Amino acid sequence: MLLAARFSDYSSRMVTLERPAFTEEADCIAKAQQSDAKAFERLYRMHVDRVYGLCLRMTGNVSEAEDSTQEAFIQAWNKLHLFRGDSAFSTWLHRIAVNAVLGRIRKSKREQDRIQVAVEQSSAPLATADTGDMRDLSEAVDRLPEGARHVFVLHAVYGYSHEETADMLDIAAGTSKAQLHRARRLLAQQLTEQGFEA
Amino acid sequence: MTDREDKLMRAARGLATGISPARDLWPGIEQAISAPRKSRWSPMLAQAAAAVLLVGASSLVTYVAVKYDAGDTPAQVMTAAAPQGLIFDRAAFGGEDTLAAVYGRAGGNIGSMLDRELASLSPEAREDVERNLAVIRRAIEEIATALEKEPDNVFLQELLVEAYSNELALMNRIGSMAQRVMARRDI
Repeated sequence: MLLAARFSDYSSRMVTLERPAFTEEADCIAKAQQSDAKAFERLYRMHVDRVYGLCLRMTGNVSEAEDSTQEAFIQAWNKLHLFRGDSAFSTWLHRIAVNAVLGRIRKSKREQDRIQVAVEQSSAPLATADTGDMRDLSEAVDRLPEGARHVFVLHAVYGYSHEETADMLDIAAGTSKAQLHRARRLLAQQLTEQGFEA
Repeated sequence: MTDREDKLMRAARGLATGISPARDLWPGIEQAISAPRKSRWSPMLAQAAAAVLLVGASSLVTYVAVKYDAGDTPAQVMTAAAPQGLIFDRAAFGGEDTLAAVYGRAGGNIGSMLDRELASLSPEAREDVERNLAVIRRAIEEIATALEKEPDNVFLQELLVEAYSNELALMNRIGSMAQRVMARRDI
């Protein structure tokens, strides 16, 4: 009886702890879908850090990450009426952010001057929350070749499955696995030379 | 996976996923989403797009009618009316308008043949063809003007390809139509 009461108490606390965040997000989505910019700003505040983090780790460049983040939220606003809740809002937003990053990279490749600027800017270490060995790992990830870096960031850092990663990057799941293998090998080589202790 | 790589993968899970941007990105987003949405359909462009579609259909009807009149069965006419090798890659001008030059050459070749062979058509058919060509060319000019302002607009690029394709298809069809009329022995 006591145990049941405790369980009931625990589960009700779980509900009260989790529901506000969920309902606030759902509420903001519903209002933003009705063109409420204030509600969309609240969604932006809830998700900007993870979206920016994803863009920063994918591009390895602060200004490209800022532009990609802004572009992602603008596209999200324009496509918000298409969001039906089939996936988590954060997943939907990440997918848009990945597309924004890939779009900018494709565009940059057509503009040689921009690539030069990006290379110069990316030589500086990124401002992330990582410290010590994790900072070494973070910087090693930034130095990975583009394809391997994208897969590593989505799969190993953000926890998406190979199928989800492949879908976001518009590549085959097998390619995602191969790129992850390549990323792991390159990172191990780099970090061994630096004496990284995971 | 080696031990080393396994440790790396576990360490990667510990990397920060949420990173705050150094500056507030919201003002830029707010400005973009509060700006009135610019319609891609200016009245002039809408007319140009409609003209491209209308003339494409109209030239096909003219062609089918004249050919059917000349003795071919409807099935033969429709088979012959299918696009004749006019296959274009998806437009990607990248700001460089080389399409006009390519079409200009192709159009010039067919055009010189067309001028000779238009004379062999009836006055009504000739007038119809010339009217359709004039509408397509006006549409091409309007789309090209819009493209100068927005060179990377894929919609306009596709519309321009469609317009050029209609123009060439019409010229091509009339060229072969006139040749068939000339080859007939029953008139």
